[in-house]
Amino acid sequence: MVSKMYKTSETVDFVVVGSGAAGGIMARELSRAGHSVVLMEQGPRLGPDQFEHDELKYRNLSGITNNPATNPQSFRHTPDETAKPMDGRNPLTYARVVGGSSTHFNANFWRLHEIDFIEGSRWGPIEGASLVDWPITYAELEPYYTKVEWEVGVSGLAGASPFDPWRSKPYPMPPLPVKSSGVLFERGARKLGLHPFPAPMAINSVFYKNRPPCAQCGLCGGFGCEVMAKSSSVWTMIPEAEATGRCEVRSLSYVFRIGMDKTGRATGVHYFDGKKVEQFQKARAVVVCANGSETPKLLLNSATNGFEHGLANSSGAVGRYLMFNKGGGAMARFEHPLNEYKGANVTRVMHDFYDSDPKRGFYGGGGFDARSGGPLTWGQSVPKGTAAWGQGFKEYLESYTYWMQCAGHGTSLAQENNRVDIDPELKDAWGIPAMRVTYKDHPDDVKHAKWQVERAVEIMDAAGASQIVPGEVGEANGGVHLLGTCRMGNDPRTSVVDKYNRTHDVKNLFLCDGSSMVTSGRGQPTQTIEALAFRAAEYISKFAKANEI
Amino acid sequence: MDHDNPSRRQFMVAVGNLASAGWIALNWPDIAQAAQPMNHHAMHGSHAAPSGSALKRILTPAEEKEVEAIANQIVPGGKNPGAREAGAIDFINNALASFFGGQLPSFREGLLDFNKAYSAAYGAEKPFSAAPAAQQIDFLGTVDKTPFFQAVRRLTVLGLIALPKYGGNRNNLGWTLIGVEDNHMWAPPFGYYDQDYAGFEPYPGTKPYTADPA
Repeated sequence: MVSKMYKTSETVDFVVVGSGAAGGIMARELSRAGHSVVLMEQGPRLGPDQFEHDELKYRNLSGITNNPATNPQSFRHTPDETAKPMDGRNPLTYARVVGGSSTHFNANFWRLHEIDFIEGSRWGPIEGASLVDWPITYAELEPYYTKVEWEVGVSGLAGASPFDPWRSKPYPMPPLPVKSSGVLFERGARKLGLHPFPAPMAINSVFYKNRPPCAQCGLCGGFGCEVMAKSSSVWTMIPEAEATGRCEVRSLSYVFRIGMDKTGRATGVHYFDGKKVEQFQKARAVVVCANGSETPKLLLNSATNGFEHGLANSSGAVGRYLMFNKGGGAMARFEHPLNEYKGANVTRVMHDFYDSDPKRGFYGGGGFDARSGGPLTWGQSVPKGTAAWGQGFKEYLESYTYWMQCAGHGTSLAQENNRVDIDPELKDAWGIPAMRVTYKDHPDDVKHAKWQVERAVEIMDAAGASQIVPGEVGEANGGVHLLGTCRMGNDPRTSVVDKYNRTHDVKNLFLCDGSSMVTSGRGQPTQTIEALAFRAAEYISKFAKANEI
Repeated sequence: MDHDNPSRRQFMVAVGNLASAGWIALNWPDIAQAAQPMNHHAMHGSHAAPSGSALKRILTPAEEKEVEAIANQIVPGGKNPGAREAGAIDFINNALASFFGGQLPSFREGLLDFNKAYSAAYGAEKPFSAAPAAQQIDFLGTVDKTPFFQAVRRLTVLGLIALPKYGGNRNNLGWTLIGVEDNHMWAPPFGYYDQDYAGFEPYPGTKPYTADPA
């Protein structure tokens, strides 16, 4: 499809920065509403035939993700430490490709539950944390969760879990076929009186919206889906945005600063094109959907007169309250081969322990799933008591197809000191100041993760595992769920965007991605990010048409 | 090697063009059938996998020999092939000559220390690679916590399992060792435990429901 082309000198209605889960939806909704849109993406645009089954490239060589050599970050646990680049990797990982991280996600699509939006009121203050209510409720977001399921494409079985939040419609597609890990997880959990259910996944189980069902290749997380069964923005929202004739997708375009005029309004974005030549795209409004790390970095790097501490940062909250989703689980070996390298990564989940329970003695809740990954990571570490080399190690390697993971996914508490800001010295390959990450787990996050490990061991034991390897819970030093760094709220003194995702400080600047989330949810944030994007786009378009931007 | 047969071409044309999504929907059963026997390598990149001669080398023959001997004790041969048969050394050489080139200086330094330590323990007449297996295993037991050994171990395992185009996993021997079949797509049953799954049984008080297929 030939994309609409705008001149940089032409003032478009909206520049959307970032083409991922939120950016793709934003571009489609705004262009369908009649607005002119330029969708900016740092990375290249790849066709289906350019996504490869190459684990080394995608897991070890930054094939489609931010590369520590060109996009470096520094890390420290506490503000009193000097942050340093990590050895060969970045603490925060995201995709740099059209479709953003929706291109390489695992596609677990969990709605938040009603409790997620009101935990500040439910729990009250927690020492060292900033656990507050969202400015919206589940009821306000429910229509948009449904819209995600039907417009983007999610498979699942509505009403299967007794712990499901209420919903207005079922999933448009039945669940994916169960794998051996799902069967065993279900067997163990049911024996314990728990309620596992078919996993809701943003992967086609049948033909849907002109895309084929999953080919069950087994390489979901970390990979683009070359059959287009995974509901990534690059296959779903972006082509539909382009089909309006009003949306240009501008790949290899790295936005590094938001332009501002003397009246405090955004005028467009400064970016480097694919040849590293600086350009400026004029726009009436800017919507940043660049993910929970790049969005605050862009705002902080856009500091200017009147916004000395970064754009939209009068609260000082830009970049703060970074959350990852902590969790704990276990590996388990069974008597017969499971062949977990085949099939979509997750087929059963369980939400019995979703809500936090005061009886546990700490804050935290989460979900569990049965999951797998590709073979490349196999053998890089071994269970205690297993030889790390030699004949015993070889026998361990040969047992690969007999193992599965029972993974817990849980809460991370928002803490003021956990943040993304700008490193005072480090710069990227474009000469732009790089991000500095400060992160230390809250003690309750660690306690909850350890508690999850115990539950995972119980489930795998009940399933009949012949060997169980409890996961080790260490201090977090990075993540892929990048949440909370431009939190949503009603009070401009404590939040960055309002409940419509408009920044409190700049009338024509909107932010929508994981940075908007007020709490972390329980581990699978993308459907919420997409629901927020559908909701925000609807309001942004209304504001634009009412001349209120 | 890359089997560019009609089946593969049909499949790649189908997935290579977003505008053909409707065509895919209409023709999916045929496409799926065509792609099923396709060699996994067909999805290993839009470019043909480099041949052996395209692989880079940076280690000297003497260095190669010692590293290969270490790799061969990390994943020994025997009834089933090990690191030597799978060509892990070719992966290691290629990696250090290209995408893991940053590790080369410390790797070489580690190898020098390894050789010195071996000579100190067993004499300088013969290198580690010429020693009997039992002696190699004894010595490795004294150095297996060193960063150099850990680096060789990491590269050896990657070399077993990464795509053959990177130099290792020769003839898919690494995948065969861990039980992975080379194919691009699968259909249930995937493993032993899902073959007789009776279906999801609803919980009391729940009413699972699905969308109207219409």
